[in-house]
Amino acid sequence: MAWTWNRAFTTLSDDATVEKSETLWESETLGGLTEDNNPIPVPVVWLVALTVMTAFLVTFPLWGQRPTAALYAPYVDLMDKPEVVAAVNDVEAMKVLLEISKSRFTGHDIEEATRHPLSMDDLRIIRPQIQALEAKGVDLKDFTVVGPNVVIANFEGNYRPDGTRIRQQPWWDKGYTIDIFYLAYFFFAVFVIVKRLPPNTWVPRHGGH
Amino acid sequence: MLKYLLAKNEDIPAGSSAIYFGFSAIIWFVLGTGLGAFNASKLAFPDFVTGLEFVSFGHMRQVHVHAVIFGWISMAFAMAMMYITPALGNTKLWSEKLGIWNAFLWNVGLSLGLTVLWMGMTSGREYSDFPWFIDLYIAGFMALPLGINVWMTIINRRTQGIYTTNWFFAAATFMLIIVFIVGNLPEFFHLTGLTEAYLTWWFAHNVLGLWITPVAAAIAYYTIPKVTGNPLYSHRIGHLHFWSVVVFYSTPAAHHLMSAPLPEWLKSFASVEGVLILVPAIAFVSNILLTMQGKWNMFVENLEVRFTVTGCLMAIPLNMQGGFQQTRAINWYIHGTGWIVAHAHLALLGFSTFLEAAAVYLGLQTIMKRKLYSLTLGNVHFWMLLIGFTTYWVSMTIAGLIQGAGKIYEVPYIDVVIAEHPYMIARWIGGSMVFVGNCLWLYNMWMTARLGTLIPAGRMPHELAYER
Repeated sequence: MAWTWNRAFTTLSDDATVEKSETLWESETLGGLTEDNNPIPVPVVWLVALTVMTAFLVTFPLWGQRPTAALYAPYVDLMDKPEVVAAVNDVEAMKVLLEISKSRFTGHDIEEATRHPLSMDDLRIIRPQIQALEAKGVDLKDFTVVGPNVVIANFEGNYRPDGTRIRQQPWWDKGYTIDIFYLAYFFFAVFVIVKRLPPNTWVPRHGGH
Repeated sequence: MLKYLLAKNEDIPAGSSAIYFGFSAIIWFVLGTGLGAFNASKLAFPDFVTGLEFVSFGHMRQVHVHAVIFGWISMAFAMAMMYITPALGNTKLWSEKLGIWNAFLWNVGLSLGLTVLWMGMTSGREYSDFPWFIDLYIAGFMALPLGINVWMTIINRRTQGIYTTNWFFAAATFMLIIVFIVGNLPEFFHLTGLTEAYLTWWFAHNVLGLWITPVAAAIAYYTIPKVTGNPLYSHRIGHLHFWSVVVFYSTPAAHHLMSAPLPEWLKSFASVEGVLILVPAIAFVSNILLTMQGKWNMFVENLEVRFTVTGCLMAIPLNMQGGFQQTRAINWYIHGTGWIVAHAHLALLGFSTFLEAAAVYLGLQTIMKRKLYSLTLGNVHFWMLLIGFTTYWVSMTIAGLIQGAGKIYEVPYIDVVIAEHPYMIARWIGGSMVFVGNCLWLYNMWMTARLGTLIPAGRMPHELAYER
């Protein structure tokens, strides 16, 4: 069962081990069943690669997160403006509010706000909570809006100089890092296991055929 | 069968425990799907049987779920292990007597467990609803004896190599015991809160991922080469499948709790692993379908191959759903809706059931040395199962999308109930078709045991023509 590293992409077993494996492979029937030595088909390799890429892209930590209190702060600040108050109903008021808030949004906040719409009634419920946090001077991005409640976000980031903890989802988190570790050792282990077999160019003859 | 409980091991005919497990599995399948159809009728017609606590939906749902998982699916798995494990090792089962006792204690334990659930004694944790003493019983008197028989048979094999199917059998029986003991720790030690939530779904995910999915796939690795006579397409893909199940299926439990206050990094980790569940699925489906090369006529002509390939094809939508529905963005929409119920049935009544039904058909005919009594009834069973399941799956998927829309747009709940009512009726019709099909199957197998044409030694059931 000696190893050889001279032709790692063909086989990791030396000639004697390969010959022994081939003899066993052809002579042994497992309850009448046999196995072929076909390589993993190229389309399957591509599908696995596509799956790995897709896995990281569709689960990106920032997708599908709850809205932060900071996202709704512009609404809270502007909801008493005369043009909002003068709207004929709450639906119209919300439209006006969204329009006049646009200049306050930064980065991708406008897309976020579109993905997390809320009604004037929702806003009336969370308004005092957001105002209380603003009065404390805390970073509103450390808080998420869960239904009618504004709660501290469920992230545990680094500590700030003042001793408080950053509660904001990083674009890359340690869960992802562990995944890369898992994937790396999985592919390495499967590569080693598969390459200990005889080269995939060898075709076993089952029952002399 | 009961007479063998006190017989000497040498006096028990080979295959007896497989027959015991096999017929028990079919009977539990009839009972389990009957209960399911009854439950579906309560959702379709809310005034049907009211006022009796023990037949209320809350009691009956748990009994249905556990009857099919631990009665039908797990006993069919045990049946397959009792005859496939020794066959692949060119040997006998290590202990037929242990197998007979295993099947007996399985039926006793499951009957007891379902009775206490029916009476309302439950842990209240989905999929691990059994109270703690039933959990210990399952680990000690159902899973452990099964594992011992499988491991000892493999150790005492007369081959040097171990075929792919037996890798899965040996590993899955070991993992089932671990899953049962660790997953039920909240009950043994009264753990609460997030720990309880996480372990509940660690259990539920891994009963599916480390028991039902790999064993069902392992059965297909036996059935297709055995019946078609083709060699398994690739030993290498078998390795890719086995190790990707171990690595990627054991880790994503947190993706069942994407809205819970678990650490976000754990959700990110689990969500990536959740998509990577597609890796074993790709390996499995490609290996089985490529093994079929040159024998696709058997997909039409042979009942066991038809069941197996259909189950294998169902692995594609199953894993596409499973891989993506757990991501944050999609989970937000479909979590807590009938979509999930449809997905669970695609896994258990679709993919898994079709694969193990093939094993039970093939195994019972082979061990009893009797050809199937009626191919017509077998075909009717297949189509009742396929059409019934598909009706159920499609209707519940649509109902789930309606519920998701209702949840997101805050539609009054009663309006959602009214909107999904037609789909609840379709669900009941589909479930009832499955139940009726299974009753026919039980009759067919009973008649096979009594009147099936004798199969000469060394021949496969499908090699013989039907005589009636």
